[in-house]
Amino acid sequence: MIVSRQYGPFPQGVRFFKNDNCRSLTLKRYHLVAINQMAEKISNNKVDVVVKIVNLHKYFGKLEVLKGIDLEVHQGDVVSVLGSSGSGKSTMLRCINYLEQPTSGEIYISGRPMGFRVDSKGRKVPDSHKSINKLRQEIGMVFQQFNIWPHMTVLGNVIEAPVHVKKIPSQEANEIALAFLEKVNLIDKKDEFPVRLSGGQLQRVAIARALSMQPKVMLFDEPTSALDPELIGEVLEAMKQLAIDGTTMIVVTHEIGFAKEVSDRVVFLNNGLVEEEGTPNEVILNPKSERCRQFFSKMLH
Amino acid sequence: MNLENLTKIIDIPLFWEYRQTYISGLIYNFYVFALAGLLAVTAGCFISLLRLSRNRIYRSIGTFYVELFRNAPEYVLLVWMHYVFPLLLTVLLNHKFNFSPILSAVLALGMAYSGYFAETFRAGIQAIPKTHIESGWALGMSKFLVMRRIIFPQAVRQMLPETLNQFISLFKATTLVSLISVPDLLYQVTIITQQEMRPLPLYSSAAIIYFVLIFFFSTLVDMFSEKWRTRGMA
Repeated sequence: MIVSRQYGPFPQGVRFFKNDNCRSLTLKRYHLVAINQMAEKISNNKVDVVVKIVNLHKYFGKLEVLKGIDLEVHQGDVVSVLGSSGSGKSTMLRCINYLEQPTSGEIYISGRPMGFRVDSKGRKVPDSHKSINKLRQEIGMVFQQFNIWPHMTVLGNVIEAPVHVKKIPSQEANEIALAFLEKVNLIDKKDEFPVRLSGGQLQRVAIARALSMQPKVMLFDEPTSALDPELIGEVLEAMKQLAIDGTTMIVVTHEIGFAKEVSDRVVFLNNGLVEEEGTPNEVILNPKSERCRQFFSKMLH
Repeated sequence: MNLENLTKIIDIPLFWEYRQTYISGLIYNFYVFALAGLLAVTAGCFISLLRLSRNRIYRSIGTFYVELFRNAPEYVLLVWMHYVFPLLLTVLLNHKFNFSPILSAVLALGMAYSGYFAETFRAGIQAIPKTHIESGWALGMSKFLVMRRIIFPQAVRQMLPETLNQFISLFKATTLVSLISVPDLLYQVTIITQQEMRPLPLYSSAAIIYFVLIFFFSTLVDMFSEKWRTRGMA
């Protein structure tokens, strides 16, 4: 089997198949997953599955918040994650970019494992901070509030990461930043300090800042929940524009309207498990499970 | 009301005659203030990091230190540091120890105020919302980068007014060092009084000088904090 050296964190994979040094070894599940993905990659010629969550469990002390989540997000998908409080939506999102460490289960970003790597003996070991940070650059995240740093201007906020993390020269970073600020309609506020901006404008700056790293997937953790009702519209408009442009998005939200109109798929989480998953029509209008139906009847009046 | 006698007693030329001594006394005040301030800020930084750590042992060491030095009166610490501590060290280490007054003054005041500074620094760092830090991590910034570019600038702005107020308290406390014979302003004035036997003008002038200095600095600090508050930073 031809396994090229370039594929991901399994350089030892090459050694497995050399003829002279054949050692008998048991193929672990991680190997099978990786080999599968390599085969897919070779056949598809592109990484289609941007985020893949496999059997994710998360305990906070004794409390099991996530009880086995499986999710696949393909490129260009807009996935809305709905559910009542405490169902584990935010935790799942934070596990994707390793802000929370999964207790068990795996997460793959564009085929690369997040937060762990498989060493030469086939065991799962925690990954170095450097590689975690590198992989985090492929994921953009917008939080519920207090996103924007108050001691820098809007433009300063947006170019901070490209300049200091990706080491892009500031001229180029400025151009990228202005392009994304244009996209969220905030180009006229580029030199203002965040203290002068409204909540909706701050969230849009947060979106532009996350976009400036040009990530493969954008995560939104209830971006409009902390906003005044009149400011929600501008943020949803910006997110809708992103969806039209083909950004891969995973949105945890309570805005059912947004979920219905903009998303390709809706995932309903209940008690740490994926209760229902499907197109908006299936999940929101014709839910199958009882809990799901209760939830939407309350939300939609 | 005997106003003529009063004007005879308040003797301005006397004060002018001793201006050299007054100035040298004040220099000692500032000297102790600078060194003790340096020690207090350094120790305070370190202790605040202990207080913020995730390790329970480090946290309790930090808490013990802060509680000890915030609750002990500065004068008691001063006297203990000058008279008792050298004796303790001599007995323990079998080597004659003698602290000069300035050394014990700097050590005692520095450690006393490091407790206050540690609390101020800790509060400044904890006042930063967690999401600011998490959004730095989410963008792929390393912990050091987040500390340098996001936590430090914000924390310094947050705690600067309070820190400056603590410095003014420290300056006020430097007058205590006269009691262990550091030749500061008050000590010089006491010596002069013993010679001149004219307590009213001498002590009053010392008091007025201290008051004017401290009032001047506190007004500066207030104006500075106000400017920052209106700019929307503090």
